[in-house]
Amino acid sequence: MKFPPLKIYALAYLLFLYAPILLLPLFAFNDGTIIAFPLKGFTTGWFAKMAENDTLRHALSNSLIIALTSSAGATILAVFAARASTRYRFRAKGSIMGLIMLPMVLPDILMGMSLLLVMLEVLRVNLSIGTVILGHVIISLPYAIAVLQTAFATLDQSLEEAAVDLGETRIGTFRLIVLPLVMPGIISAFLISFTISLDEFIVAFFLAGNQPTLPTYIFSQLRFPSSIPVIMALGTCLVAASIVLLSVAEFFRRRGLKRTGAKDTGGFL
Amino acid sequence: MTTQPMIAFREVHKYYGDYHALRGITAEIRPGEFFSLLGPSGCGKTTLLRTIAGFEDISSGAVLIDGRDMAGVPANKRPTNMVFQSYAIFPHLSVAQNVGFGLRRDTRSKGEKAKLVEEALEMVGLKGYGARAAHALSGGQRQRVALARALILKPKVLLLDEPLSALDRKIREQMQVELIKLQREVGITFVLVTHDQEEALVMSDRIAVMFEGEIAQLADPETLYRRPNSRRVADFIGVMNFLPATVTGERGDTITAEVAGLGALEVARSQVSLAPAGDQAAVGFRPETLTLLYEGQQAGDREAQGVIDEVVYYGDMTYYDVRLDGMERPVRISMRNVFGRPVLDVGTRTRVAWSPGALVLFR
Ligand SMILES: Nc1ncnc2c1ncn2[C@@H]1O[C@H](COP(=O)(O)OP(=O)(O)OP(=O)(O)O)[C@@H](O)[C@H]1O
Ligand SMILES: [Mg+2]
Repeated sequence: MKFPPLKIYALAYLLFLYAPILLLPLFAFNDGTIIAFPLKGFTTGWFAKMAENDTLRHALSNSLIIALTSSAGATILAVFAARASTRYRFRAKGSIMGLIMLPMVLPDILMGMSLLLVMLEVLRVNLSIGTVILGHVIISLPYAIAVLQTAFATLDQSLEEAAVDLGETRIGTFRLIVLPLVMPGIISAFLISFTISLDEFIVAFFLAGNQPTLPTYIFSQLRFPSSIPVIMALGTCLVAASIVLLSVAEFFRRRGLKRTGAKDTGGFL
Repeated sequence: MTTQPMIAFREVHKYYGDYHALRGITAEIRPGEFFSLLGPSGCGKTTLLRTIAGFEDISSGAVLIDGRDMAGVPANKRPTNMVFQSYAIFPHLSVAQNVGFGLRRDTRSKGEKAKLVEEALEMVGLKGYGARAAHALSGGQRQRVALARALILKPKVLLLDEPLSALDRKIREQMQVELIKLQREVGITFVLVTHDQEEALVMSDRIAVMFEGEIAQLADPETLYRRPNSRRVADFIGVMNFLPATVTGERGDTITAEVAGLGALEVARSQVSLAPAGDQAAVGFRPETLTLLYEGQQAGDREAQGVIDEVVYYGDMTYYDVRLDGMERPVRISMRNVFGRPVLDVGTRTRVAWSPGALVLFR
């Protein structure tokens, strides 16, 4: 140890970051309704109660549908946008890309309010999970584009020319050469959009109408002390699911990199 | 001989916005020839090569391949294949999949295609490498894969953009020889882009020397070396000594030029090339056309005296910079190091001989 203060700082930082998350499973398995020490005893009852809760199940399925479709939509749009911005020159490219990327820095509450206005007054559609999906596509698109731009920019253009030179069409080249090589980037973009959508609160709160999503449901339940242990159990499940999801994704990403012999330029883990 | 050229450029111009990259290229490449485009960085060699492949639209003029105008013919429909400078090996495919990529649209059976791939790999000395992952190959092996992949389609023309520049010297020299052999074997027209004059001289049947979007001289290697048509070409290909000269007389086929230190020289008209307008006339010598004379040796044609200014020893050769009496700047002379003849020291007084037939007059 050359410089202990730095090491202590790093440890404190990690503790501050992860200790609260560790409290979730602690109280999820605690046999008591009050979230306080000392712990009472071990129970899996909260998980059983969680599984029986219909509204929660409804919120979960809503959230999953929203996250899957909005991240799929955002990723597909991001593929086109990133491809266009890295490969082609067109008029007002800078301003167009800037406007697409703007939601990344715009406060979510502005997005939520203006989208609500558009849905109700301009488009005159009823609020549903469909409107949330639209909103989530817009807010996760810039992140997906940012990830994919790196993937497309590191792709050697002569690979595409070589495929065309060997008789392949432009579309065939995209399918056979470009797509497989940017696949790790596509997976990353999808995951980022998925996680953004899954825990997004404000836009979902504004646009969901009477439909619950996981974050809005959790927020609504925090008013009732008796349901907090169930929320703890739910949180524990989400943490476990996140870890599994990221590990699987990282596995595929690394396998993709290994297959092409590319250098690892950062992923999630 | 009136065989149809394999490639014909007719007044080809190319603009990138305002930048005039190709300035009226007119040239013909013969069938079965090993042709090189040689020139300094940025002169437009790659651009010209890419107009053949169809990756670059031309602004005006015409490119013909085997008599057919290529205007409007996309790259994937042209009878050419290319070896890219970066080799452009598909990293997610195996060696065999890379080599067989161009056969995807072919109607032959799987077995026949596999046989073609195996033959192509054998041709470039990679027999049995088919199942390997392409990204795990060395630079030299990648280049061979790129060659096999381009040649498997039996193109009329193979285009090579600086294919050897990424290899280290030993492998590069070995690949030069292999490429020449391969070209003779398959009989396909090769068009090579290079900025390495030695590489061009070693490999090509004919060379086009390019400067700033124009072809300065198109000739076989020996003509380029012995009779460069301008000082610029002479300077770019090998080393040439230039001595300021004054033309003092012209009689029939011979021109007389006066050079300080060497006296009056008679030059055949066929040995006269261009100097930039307004420049003083100059006489050019290659370093090996001058000889240091040792004690008791007799001069060949002409002789001068001087002092050795600098010695650069290369093992098989030694370069001497000799300041001849009456001359401002030293001339470079190369001597083969023969057994029994010591390398001379700086400061030695020596005699130098030359033959008038070896010089070029630039005026
Ligand atoms: N896509 C492009 N847009 C604008 N200018 C270009 C483009 N491609 C090439 N140029 C310019 O055209 C000129 C010729 O380029 P080219 O690549 O043909 O040179 P080169 O002779 O192959 O040089 P090098 O030995 O460096 O590869 C260069 O000045 C280059 O900057
Ligand atoms: Mg080039």
